[in-house]
Amino acid sequence: MRSCKDVSFLLSRSLDRPLPWTTRLSLRMHLMMCSFCRVARRQTLAMREILNVYGGTAVAGETEDQPGLPDEVRERIKDHVREAVKEQPDC
Amino acid sequence: MNPEEWVEAYGDALYRYALSRHVDPMSAQDLVQETFLAALKNQDRFSGKSSPQTWLIGILRNKMLDRIRKEIRLQSSADMDQTLSVVENEIFDASGRWRTGPQAWETDPHVVLERKEFREVLAKCLGSLPVSLRTAFMLREMDGLDAQEICKQLDISATNLWVMLHRARLRLRNCLGVNWFERKGEA
Repeated sequence: MRSCKDVSFLLSRSLDRPLPWTTRLSLRMHLMMCSFCRVARRQTLAMREILNVYGGTAVAGETEDQPGLPDEVRERIKDHVREAVKEQPDC
Repeated sequence: MNPEEWVEAYGDALYRYALSRHVDPMSAQDLVQETFLAALKNQDRFSGKSSPQTWLIGILRNKMLDRIRKEIRLQSSADMDQTLSVVENEIFDASGRWRTGPQAWETDPHVVLERKEFREVLAKCLGSLPVSLRTAFMLREMDGLDAQEICKQLDISATNLWVMLHRARLRLRNCLGVNWFERKGEA
């Protein structure tokens, strides 16, 4: 039977690439018998869900964790963009 | 929309994206500026298939990766192996069994993310990962890139990627457990 350490790696790998059916079978058998690995599997899936939501909310500014661009920086960037537009031959 | 309006409409989202990926504020500001200038230069390449924000974040992500690709390559595998073995030895005994079984996390991921204190712990745990692991992990779990794309972006083999993602998950699970989920009264 596979060790919990091996199963931990395979659980992670299964999130990124489908495992061969024989490996899936041995993983399933281990999970049936090992409550710790079942907990670890649920935690790994929960982390995936957490990170997925966190990535989206951070960009959307739905939380106040990440501030927006400081005003002076926004103006500086606009100045640079304005200059770059002027330098474009077709504009 | 003219390029100046882009800055107004998408500047904050790009800046937040960079900060949430653990880029320091000064570098994030530079990267946002470089992104808008690159977008201006290549605006004919915007097909309209994705939203302008998605297109701009793609440019920003490439610029961020350009900066850290070298750092990732330089990070010696010896250091990474050592880091992993320390974490793994804390979790598994010599025969590969759990030393202490993981405790169930009873908290709904969506509910827990509403708590600022949890988001701070999460950011701290992500920040504690070595840059190579963090980058691969964030590209996979926060940006949703597939493994093939990440291997291409980081110039690494698929085998290396599986190991890196496993290490990142192991360390993050450990960090979140110790600092949040398994702390009495917090979760």
